Amino acid sequence: MNGDAGAVDLTGFLTLTRREVLRFLRRPANTFAPPFITNVLYFSVFGVILGERVGTITGVPYILFILPGLVVLGAVSNSFENASFSIFHGRWNEYIHEVLTSPLSYAGMVGAYVLSAATRGLLVGGLIAAIGWAIVSALFRPVPVEKPAYLLAFMLVITLLFASLGVIGGLAASDFDDLTVMNQFILRPLVFFGAVFYSLEDLTPLLRDVSLLNPMVYMVNGVRYGFLGVAEVDPRLSLAVLAGMTAAAVGIDVLLFKRGYGLTD
Amino acid sequence: MTNALEVEDLRKSYGDLDALKGVSLTVPEGSFFGLLGPNGAGKTTFINVLVGLVRASGGDARVFGHDVEDDYRKARDRIGLAPQEFNVDRFFPIHEVLEHKAGYHGVPHDVAAERAERALKQVGIYDKRDTRFDWLSGGMKRRFMLARALVTDPDLLILDEPSAGVDVQLRRDLWDLVTELNERGTTVLLTTHYIEEAERLCDEVAILDRGRVVTVASPEDLMDRGTDRVVVTLRDPPASAASLSAVLPGDDRIEDVSLEEGRLVVTARQGGLVAPDLVRELDRAGHEILDMEIKRTSLEEVFVDMTRHDEGDEDGRDDANEGAPDDAPLETAAPGGGEGSR
Repeated sequence: MNGDAGAVDLTGFLTLTRREVLRFLRRPANTFAPPFITNVLYFSVFGVILGERVGTITGVPYILFILPGLVVLGAVSNSFENASFSIFHGRWNEYIHEVLTSPLSYAGMVGAYVLSAATRGLLVGGLIAAIGWAIVSALFRPVPVEKPAYLLAFMLVITLLFASLGVIGGLAASDFDDLTVMNQFILRPLVFFGAVFYSLEDLTPLLRDVSLLNPMVYMVNGVRYGFLGVAEVDPRLSLAVLAGMTAAAVGIDVLLFKRGYGLTD
Repeated sequence: MTNALEVEDLRKSYGDLDALKGVSLTVPEGSFFGLLGPNGAGKTTFINVLVGLVRASGGDARVFGHDVEDDYRKARDRIGLAPQEFNVDRFFPIHEVLEHKAGYHGVPHDVAAERAERALKQVGIYDKRDTRFDWLSGGMKRRFMLARALVTDPDLLILDEPSAGVDVQLRRDLWDLVTELNERGTTVLLTTHYIEEAERLCDEVAILDRGRVVTVASPEDLMDRGTDRVVVTLRDPPASAASLSAVLPGDDRIEDVSLEEGRLVVTARQGGLVAPDLVRELDRAGHEILDMEIKRTSLEEVFVDMTRHDEGDEDGRDDANEGAPDDAPLETAAPGGGEGSR
């Protein structure tokens, strides 16, 4: 081998991670401009214009209330999209063979795809937070970060989780339309019904109970807890459940790579 | 000596379709080995099993002693593959694609950059290093495929139709480069439709057909099995070939004597050896020879003959696997079975 197995795997993992990160960094018009524009619109329309009518939710201005949810929306959708697109595009054009025919371990391959996709999710989440911070600070007050450790932990876990799910999506897709379906018809409804724009307290008991089946509720709730220090669901329980889901999703990714699901004939 | 490749009873099925039906091959280290076969013979499936892009349904394959599934990381690290399809990362300039490929094989970034530069120079497209693959010409793309296979310093270089669609000059450049690599110790496994390529480059070739190995032999041995045509132009050719058939009685190398457009055509094995006897006997019989041409059988003709399928030849044979005789008559060597595919 070109070195011992461990060193080969580490170098291979770092190379693939670097390749994946460079891919989205070098195309900001495709990766960062859309969430930038979309979120400027979200904050302007929902936060500023509608926010004035809504007033406050859970004691904070509406625009501040929706900020964590928008950060989650951007972070998870970009994590998912990056992993699913990168893998599916590589499959579609078969250049994923460059990775598959290498001595990189399956865990190393998955780790690189997941970590790089989560990095994009974190960067987009940070970008949205910066947009919200700029608008909210200008109109009301500086955006607080009451529980920074929780905020960081939740952001890490949810981006890793959706990056891992994106890997599954990229392996399962048989057409580019499948990626659109996953993003538009599964991911976005979950996010929009995940208490991004409203409080669970505003729902009827039945709808509130149904909402609690949506994992997105726990993510939005956790990130909101990180920013505002208020939570409608116990953040420690949310974090533990989400971390468990992430570990399971990564495990499934590795298993699928090992079995060659969507990758080998 | 270690074998670069040891394959035993390798099988691959896609549902009812058997692409590989028990292929067994041994490729010695340092050899230049050709894998010939018509479309659908199973060549690409065979190669893809070695590099992990296809999962075998049965059998074993080892690369330098490493099982391609159980010890896949060591096996893949020894292989450099230039596939037929242009499966190249389109997002990056080609020098970065090479750096990435080397990196996946554990080569540190600075060394990978040096190797990428060297590989691009080797194949003659260094001045295009900052270009993305899509913007290369067809010939340059083919060169790049070889560069990508070389950037990991492979011990086993697998070339799947490397000269498909390239011009004569480029083909010769590729031949020279690959020959040089082979002379320096790299084992080469080549699949090609250009029989001339195998004839010129390979120490040994395996003919694969419908998922089975038909035979393994050197190109020279294979050509010796074919029949040559000795075409003789006579000043006064007879009306029929019957009188000429008696010219060389008892020579079992001669398979047929005929007249075609007034010229004598003798079909024989080892036509070059038959020709002097033929000239002598014709002269002795009083025929004046105006011209003579020996049309040596080509490997291509042997190949076509061995992979020709007749109705009802479902029960093919695999007479060239290790330990099996590879000098069976050509007529019985054509295997049967279903169509293979990649």
